[in-house]
Formats: sequence, structure tokens, C-alpha cells
Amino acid sequence: MTVVPARSSEWVRPVRSQEPASAIIEIDRVSQVFQTSARKDHVALSDISLTIEEGAFVSILGPSGCGKSTLLYIVGGFVSPTSGSAKIKGHAITRPGPDRGPVFQEFALFPWKTVLGNVMYGPRQQGVRAAEAEAQSLALIEMVGLKGYESFYPKELSGGMKQRVALARTLAYHPEVLLMDEPFGALDAHTRTRLQNDLLNIWERDRKTVLFVTHSVDEAVFLSDKVVMMSKSPGRIREVIDIDLPRPRRRNELLLDPRYQKYIVDIERMFDESDEAGQAS
Amino acid sequence: MMSSATLIRRAAPVLACIGLLAVWQVASLALKNDSFPTAIDAIRAIPDILGDKESLINILASLRRMAIGFGVAVLVSIPLGLLMGRSRSVAAFFNPLLMVIYPVPKAALMPIIMLWLGVGDVTKTLVIFLGVSLPVIYHSFEGAKAVEEKMLWSGAAMGLSPARRLVRIVLPAALPEILTGCRTGLVLALITMITSEMIARQSGAGNILFNALDMGQYDTVFAMIIIVGAMGICLDAIFERVRARLVRWSEPQFDMPLSFS
Ligand SMILES: Nc1ncnc2c1ncn2[C@@H]1O[C@H](COP(=O)(O)OP(=O)(O)OP(=O)(O)O)[C@@H](O)[C@H]1O
Ligand SMILES: [Mg+2]
Repeated sequence: MTVVPARSSEWVRPVRSQEPASAIIEIDRVSQVFQTSARKDHVALSDISLTIEEGAFVSILGPSGCGKSTLLYIVGGFVSPTSGSAKIKGHAITRPGPDRGPVFQEFALFPWKTVLGNVMYGPRQQGVRAAEAEAQSLALIEMVGLKGYESFYPKELSGGMKQRVALARTLAYHPEVLLMDEPFGALDAHTRTRLQNDLLNIWERDRKTVLFVTHSVDEAVFLSDKVVMMSKSPGRIREVIDIDLPRPRRRNELLLDPRYQKYIVDIERMFDESDEAGQAS
Repeated sequence: MMSSATLIRRAAPVLACIGLLAVWQVASLALKNDSFPTAIDAIRAIPDILGDKESLINILASLRRMAIGFGVAVLVSIPLGLLMGRSRSVAAFFNPLLMVIYPVPKAALMPIIMLWLGVGDVTKTLVIFLGVSLPVIYHSFEGAKAVEEKMLWSGAAMGLSPARRLVRIVLPAALPEILTGCRTGLVLALITMITSEMIARQSGAGNILFNALDMGQYDTVFAMIIIVGAMGICLDAIFERVRARLVRWSEPQFDMPLSFS
């Protein structure tokens, strides 16, 4: 793990680069209606419009069942929306591609491959030579804290370890956009903090665009440039909040920062209000 | 050092065989029936059969037909089952076809096939092929259907085409289930091998068995039953070894005993 001591000069750095940010993902009036087994229509997403700028870290925050995963699948090209459109770099998204790397809530590791085999799978698929793919994968495995487990099969790992393999497997083929579905949800507090820091380090180094689904308000505020708050039934965007906190972010400093605290309090209050509104109706 | 638990597990099948032979011996001594030789008499007849060149050629010919029938069936059935499991239209096309063939005992088709193809190797191999195909198709189909969607999505995101996903993801993911089907298929191959030779008497292990039966050589009949049974046990044991090696990654880590006392 690389913990760089924060220098005061870094705090003065502007939040985003000065060059005009261009949109990498455009979601335009997307709705998703599912037919339930009872033959009733279930509106999972209703009229979602969202633009994500290249290199931005965007979190989607919302109650369980509000359609966060579904939205991610649409951007991934795994599911096509009932109406509306999603674009990447101006091209309509019609199918999955290596430019968008998903990390699924269910891990979806290949059980017949070892940890190393899983992580190498993507690069090998893209024609990276075996030796090179292996070297890169070993470095990634070390980064997610699984050194020594390279030859383990997924069934021999704990839930949190599987999650970390899933993250390494996706990072290994260098997608431009990371689509992460509650990647740290199953981890203990310590590992979660470590991986949040590691993810931020990676992100600050190569500025991938990240679309990050989470239940946790402080995780969203800590990591993101932008927090998209969603509400449930039907899944809608309730609010988009810009997080103007300096980078690189250090957890121990941020926790004492009143601006950070205010974001968290504000977002939690907004969710409470919508809960009350939901109960009143 | 072997632990006592391992020792018991290794010894169990041997004990079971000895127990079975003992029961047989006692039962046949008690019954005193000409058509029910004692276990010892039957075992004594085994070297005669295996020492006879003609018999040996017959048995090897049986095994060859069985191997070809089984091999071709597996090569055809696995891709077909996997395709059916992943494509609704392929399944819709083949399902009714298979449902017609499934309940028919394959040996019952033999007389018809014999009319077309004669009583030779082709007919018998074809019947074995039919017997093996259905369980392998069925298990490949179920295995492919059960493959976790997100696993295929992960592959798609890495740039695997649908055809490559079938080979590189569906096949390995469904392998434990496929091999369960193959194991059933192997036993069925042995059964159809013997029945086919019972119907088309000409050569083979089944031919020796049923000729001996006709001639009242009951020692030979029971010796053949032991030989065929031993073949079944050996083939299954070999297959099980291969299977366990191929799907080590999927075996459960903890044995769940049936009782908790
Ligand atoms: N394949 C499907 N068929 C029918 N309904 C579905 C399907 N997938 C999702 N849904 C419904 O769509 C809604 C949104 O589901 P989704 O998985 O996107 O929620 P989520 O916000 O990711 O929830 P969680 O935080 O619990 O993961 C849910 O109400 C769910 O019942
Ligand atoms: Mg979800």
C-alpha cells in the first residue's frame, strides 16, 4: 500500500483540471420496465438523464431496489433500456466492450480458474503475452492484498477476498470506464478503508472514469466528484451533488474537515426527508 | 501413515465384494439348483474364458464398439446440449425430437436399425451411441442453462464473442454437470453393449454370455456376469479419477455427514 504523506501544496491544487471536461457517458431519458412473473409491469428506472465527464468519479447512492445495478448494466451494455439511450463517447451503447469494465455485486469469478488465472483472463483475451499478463496480474493481486493466494481457487476464498479478486480482474484489462456495483459492500471496515484508498490512488494516477454504486453515504462523499442520489419506485434521480473537496483526499484529514461532514449530514437529511415523504403518501 | 478413516474407506469396496460373494456362495449351496452355480465355481471359470483367444477377441471387439459409440456420442452431445442450454431456438428445435427418443429403450430400436444397416458393428455401435447421447445431452443442457449470467457478462466485457463464450466460459462452468452425464452415459454404454449383442448374436461379450446360457453352461454365464460387472467397476473407477481431476475446483470443501450424532 502506498501512503504518501499529504503535503500542504497538494491541498491548494484545484479540484479538477482546467481543460474543459468532455462527456464520456451520456444517459438520455432512460427508462427500464421489467415484466414480473405476475405479468405486471415494474418500472425499475424512470426517465434517467445523466452526463458523466471523462475522468470523473461519480457515485450512485440510493436505497435497495432503486435501480442502481440496472443503470450500471445499461451503461455496461448488458441490458438494453426499454426507452431512451445511453452513449459512450458519442456512440450508442449496444453491447458490452472492453472499454467498460464491470465489477459485479455477485463477483462472478470464474470458479475453474485460480486467482491468478482469473486476473490474467482479460489481458490474455486481449492478446497480451502470457509472461507480461502474468507479471501485471501478480502486481495487481499484490495491490489488492492477496499476495500468497495466487494459486487459490475462488471456492477457497472468503467473500471479501473474492471481491478483491473481482476488482483486480477488471482492472487488469484497463477499461476506460469502471462500473463498480457495491464493490466494497462485503468487506470489513479495515479492508474497505484500505481498498478505498487504493482505488483513489489508482484513480488519481490514471484518471479512469468511475461509476460507483454504493449504499454508504460517507464512502460516496469520500471518493466522488459527484454523488447521484436516487429514489425508489420508480427509480429516479433525486439530486446530483458536486463534492468540492480537495484532492488527493486523505481519510484522516477529511474526517476532521467540516465541509466533508456537512456533505454527509446534508445527504443523510435529504434521504430522511424522502423517507418521510414516502411514508406520508 | 494412513488414518483409520482412510483405511476404512479404501477397504469398504473390497469388503462389499467379498460379502456379496459369500452371500452368493451360501445361497447357491442352500438352493442346490443346477442353473445357480456357486461363486467359487463361477470364479474358477473366469481363467478359461480369459485364456481363450476367441473369447478374448470377442470381448475386445465389444469394448471397441463401446469406446467408439461412447466417444462419438460425447463429442456430438456436449456441443448440442450446451447450444440448447444457451439458445432458446436451438432448444425449441431439438427438444421435441429428443423427447420422442428418450423414453424408447434403445435396444428396442435394434431390430429396425438391423434391417437398415445389418447385424454388424455399425448397428451395435449406433445403438450404444443412442444410449449414451441422451443423458449427456440432458446434463450438458442443464449445466449450460445454470451458468451464472454475470460470468458471461464478464466474458463479454473482456471482448469474448458469443462462440468463444460458449467454449471458454459455458463449457468449463458446466463441466461438473456434463461429466455427471458422461458417467451415466458410460454405464449405459456397457448396458447397451451387452443388450445389442444379445439381440444381434454374432460376436462380443454378450454373445458369449447368451450362447453359454443356451447351452446350459451356467458356470460360464455367471463368470461372464462377473467379468462384465468388473469391467463396469473398472471403467467407472477410471472415469471417476479423470472426473475428479478435471473438476477439482468445484468439489465441496466439507463433507456433510448424513447424521450428526
Ligand atoms: N430481471 C429482472 N426482472 C424483473 N425485475 C427486475 C429484474 N432486475 C431488477 N428488477 C427489479 O428492478 C428494481 C431495481 O433492481 P436493481 O437490482 O437495479 O436495484 P439496486 O438499486 O441495485 O438494489 P440493491 O442496492 O439491493 O442492489 C428492483 O425492484 C428489482 O425487483
Ligand atoms: Mg444492486
